[in-house]
Amino acid sequence: MTSLIEAAEFAVKESQKLGADEAEGFAQKQRVTEILLERGEIQSERTKTQQGIGIRVIKDRKLGFAFASTLNRRFVKKTCRDAFKIASVSPENSDWVSLPLPKKVPPVPKGLYDEELANLSPNDVLSMAIEGYDAVKKVDPRVSIDDGKLSVFSTEVAISNSHGISLQGRGTAASFFLVCIAKEGGETSSFAYEYEVSRTLRNFSTEKVGELAAKKALMSLGARRIESFKGEVLLSPDVAAEVLFGPVISSVNADNVQRGRSLWADKIGETVSNHVLTVIDDGLLPYGLGSSSFDAEGVPSQKTILIDNGTLKNFLYDSYTANKSNTESTGNAARSSYSSLPSISISNLLIEPGTKSLEDLISEIDRGIIINRFSGNVAAESGEFSGVAKQASYVENGEIKFPLRETMISGNAFESLRKIVEIGRDRRATMMSIYTPPILVKDINIIAK
Amino acid sequence: MRGQSRRVFSVTVKDGQVERIICGLNKGACSRILINGSWGFSSTTIIDKKNLLRLLKDSESLAKSSKPVKRRSVNIAPVKPYIDNYETSMKKDPRREDLEVLVEDVLETDKEVHSYSRNVASTSISLSVVDDELYFANSDGARIKQRIVRCFGGASVIAKSNGKIASTYESIGGQMGLEVFEETPIREAALEAAKRAVRIVPKRVVPGGHYNVVLENKIVGLLAHEAVGHTAEADLVYGGSFLSNKVGQKIASEMITLIDDGLYPSGFGTMKYDDEGTPTERTIIIDRGVVKGFMHSRETARQFGVPPTGNARAWSFEYDPIIRMRNTYIEPRDQTLEELIEEVKEGYLLRGGGGGQADFNGEFMFTIQEAVKIENGDLKESYRGAAISGNAFEVLNKVKGVGKDFGMLVGICGKEQPNYVGIGGPSLITELLVGGS
Repeated sequence: MTSLIEAAEFAVKESQKLGADEAEGFAQKQRVTEILLERGEIQSERTKTQQGIGIRVIKDRKLGFAFASTLNRRFVKKTCRDAFKIASVSPENSDWVSLPLPKKVPPVPKGLYDEELANLSPNDVLSMAIEGYDAVKKVDPRVSIDDGKLSVFSTEVAISNSHGISLQGRGTAASFFLVCIAKEGGETSSFAYEYEVSRTLRNFSTEKVGELAAKKALMSLGARRIESFKGEVLLSPDVAAEVLFGPVISSVNADNVQRGRSLWADKIGETVSNHVLTVIDDGLLPYGLGSSSFDAEGVPSQKTILIDNGTLKNFLYDSYTANKSNTESTGNAARSSYSSLPSISISNLLIEPGTKSLEDLISEIDRGIIINRFSGNVAAESGEFSGVAKQASYVENGEIKFPLRETMISGNAFESLRKIVEIGRDRRATMMSIYTPPILVKDINIIAK
Repeated sequence: MRGQSRRVFSVTVKDGQVERIICGLNKGACSRILINGSWGFSSTTIIDKKNLLRLLKDSESLAKSSKPVKRRSVNIAPVKPYIDNYETSMKKDPRREDLEVLVEDVLETDKEVHSYSRNVASTSISLSVVDDELYFANSDGARIKQRIVRCFGGASVIAKSNGKIASTYESIGGQMGLEVFEETPIREAALEAAKRAVRIVPKRVVPGGHYNVVLENKIVGLLAHEAVGHTAEADLVYGGSFLSNKVGQKIASEMITLIDDGLYPSGFGTMKYDDEGTPTERTIIIDRGVVKGFMHSRETARQFGVPPTGNARAWSFEYDPIIRMRNTYIEPRDQTLEELIEEVKEGYLLRGGGGGQADFNGEFMFTIQEAVKIENGDLKESYRGAAISGNAFEVLNKVKGVGKDFGMLVGICGKEQPNYVGIGGPSLITELLVGGS
């Protein structure tokens, strides 16, 4: 069997032959090239080719799922039998309505597949990694690389179900990150993290990552301790994504809402944050990391407003949770690979930018800290966060005073959303498909020895 | 070359309903080639002659093309080529049992957890069986087949009360057959998680600060692994981790002996051979406070001029082996938990672990689920947990008592690639920073 869509359609037909009421095949093929940088040298390079199929069957409202890392006809047949057997031993789910029905799918957003990126040879990828590596060396001899990875992906998917959905898509992506440290006179700086992620080669520069990571590492030399206090904290896009928007994503997930795991279950139409905050899930964003014209169940992607000037507007649904709440799926079913069932996820989470530059934001801080990396825990359901502020600096009277060490922060994301002072102007794509500017928040616990 | 076939069966129940039952097979092969001191690696799930030949070609071309940019030429320590067959010791081999009975088990556990208290808002309970067949062959003539079976489960419970929410987690498992689900039932772990969630949901977050603490045995494994273990991985030692140049030096209290054991009975990270065909062993990292040695692959063993320790592990055929811990633990001593609490007098008992991270200079953080105030050597009120942080070696130097309540847990560690590890230890007294309110 050659094409993914043939494999997916074959799986649906085979499952129906076995007596399934409904069936779905999700086939995926991926080629990945990765270059690992470790302790200042190219540590290893690898290429991965993987393909496989995940099969969902429903019989008498009982669900079965099985997968296999092959598209070979004989194995696909066997996988259908496995899925069917699991359905037969599963208890009935009285909430089951149906797999999604076919709907008109919007045109593929621009910039999801880059021919040039897809055709990079392992050698090309290696040269790109070396550019990043050399950029670090060029900045300052005190800086070295602790860790880093360049990954280039080319992925194809196909979905078919027994209601007539039959869709194919493809995408490319490249991501690069570096962790650098600077050493001077027996002092080791805090570990500086910098990254870039993109669908296309356009604007993807490993060199820029190397330069920024090295500069960040240098900036944290000479770190000092401070006393504990409660104050303003300027969260970098990464930290804002993790600390503030992790709990937001969990709370707008319809599955969590239905299971009583969301504190926002009955808050549609209510104020959940400062009015400066607007949050949109946009599955059709051109060049978007999480964009596609359809989701992992074949439902059309769309744009969904979640928080509009501080007011909670919508939740994110897949077809199962939408059926359960008697509403429409928002096209937010996702799968990490053919080996997993679909579950609700953001596509691209867009935070509306404000008007102030980073410098302007800093100039407004009376007493607080800037944090560029967070090493800690965020309890998505309760919103509690607690962890070490890495790559952090102390700010007083609008000026950066010195880098910090052994400093922790703690608070509650739901309270912090109400205590946003200002949202910055310059939005960036984080590794988690969250597009956010830096965000200034007040009344956060800053803890030190 | 390595080949792998991984069979997975898992069942997850959420709030009275089967969320998913998964049955799957992942099969694939990889090749790693060393040419003129440079490695190249490739993997595929498409196993036929054409693709396996392409695999070898890809590895070869990667090894050759990266050679000019590599600062270090790789040489590997010799290992006797073994021809052997190993299988996890099991009383109930999952291949010969009806796995569907696990579904009933999980459904009943879920029911019981929900009926424990009205404040239990949501649950997620799962049991999994991962059955790996690993094949290893190298150009020295090694031919090793290992079958490694891991059975494990987890229970996450969310309690809600007066608009507040708290989540807890407990796990079970080991490298064993299905008997592990009878010896340590998921039911007990789930109820423990439920009791804790209901207990802490009305409470405040522990106040932040630097305290004397008793770390419960379940957390000490995290300390051993996360804070200390990583700095003793020879690739990180070579990169300048805290432990580089410290062999023979005293870096921790003499109450601390830390082991990474590849042969620990039923350990989650136990293997007879690592993924380079090296037999595993019990490696002493710290002996009564003094650094004894590191964890090695064939490559770092050669660099350091020592024998390889069998720590080169790969998550799957899609990854090349790197230095990983196996079962890492601090050895127990003689005090009871009560004695430790009494000795601390003023401080906190920290209970229930969560995820953690560490930088190779020994700065670590991990999450705890609950903190219980210790006043005058007695346990007082409970608080919700927070992240704790410190420098591993300061924390180990300040150890003032080590308990005898040894416990071993299952874990999944991420170091570029995930892997199954065992983590263990007894409760102990130390000082650290708590990132509370």
